[in-house]
Amino acid sequence: MQKILHYVQNDNLVFLTNACVLTGILRFRITKNKMSNIFDICKVCFTFGKLNFTSMKSRFLFPYKSRFIGYILIFAYFPVMIAKKIFYHGYMDHGGHITLPDNPSLLDANHIFNVIATLVVMVGLLLVGFSKEKFEDEQIIQLRLDSLQWTMYFTFFLYMLAVIFTNSIDLVHIVGINLWMLLVFFIIRFRWVIFRLNQSLKAEKGIS
Amino acid sequence: MKNNIRVERAIKNITQADLADQVGVSRQTINTIESNKYVPSTVLALKIARIFGKPVEEVFILEEED
Repeated sequence: MQKILHYVQNDNLVFLTNACVLTGILRFRITKNKMSNIFDICKVCFTFGKLNFTSMKSRFLFPYKSRFIGYILIFAYFPVMIAKKIFYHGYMDHGGHITLPDNPSLLDANHIFNVIATLVVMVGLLLVGFSKEKFEDEQIIQLRLDSLQWTMYFTFFLYMLAVIFTNSIDLVHIVGINLWMLLVFFIIRFRWVIFRLNQSLKAEKGIS
Repeated sequence: MKNNIRVERAIKNITQADLADQVGVSRQTINTIESNKYVPSTVLALKIARIFGKPVEEVFILEEED
């Protein structure tokens, strides 16, 4: 019984079952001679339902002002973060095993306050990272995409370093850090590029 | 790719900000295009050329390495 439980807890098995179910569905659709259905689904998933990329309008961005709401949410999280650093000594005690208390205190990972605080900072990061610029044009879109690619490379590089130097032991920590790391790097890099862009305009003015 | 935007602007006597307003982009974008740091999309290139009343080839010129 315990062995079965162990396997059920294993993510690989869950992934495999999911994959089996998925291929089952796909096969079903193919045998029904509805290949186009799959492609329709893929089209919607991969292109957000948009088939031509002729329009340079940016899609799925929050309004400009939501960025400031995002900053407020992030700063609201700072006291919690500091409190955690000072008063909370973590739950990784027994040789890397995670133990969560049955009666969680305010700063424990399974306390509703901690869950909500984490959600708040994540929503804040999302709002800051993906809000429109004051003046949204094609160059901004280009820079945003560039920054996303840079972030992907950079974090992946850090993962590789983490795997090398921690022998994959601290992967739980990496997952935890991942909650904010991608977006923080993206925001820093994107802001920096925008800042450089504005600086270049100022420099130009200084000359002429 | 190089471009004659600066020259054309001087001929029409408009600033970067004016041009930016007319084609609907930011001043920064016009500035980076002029200094060859950014290659505009076809749509934007056509719009800029239309402001100057010239074909695109007279405003934007391909170079050897393009």
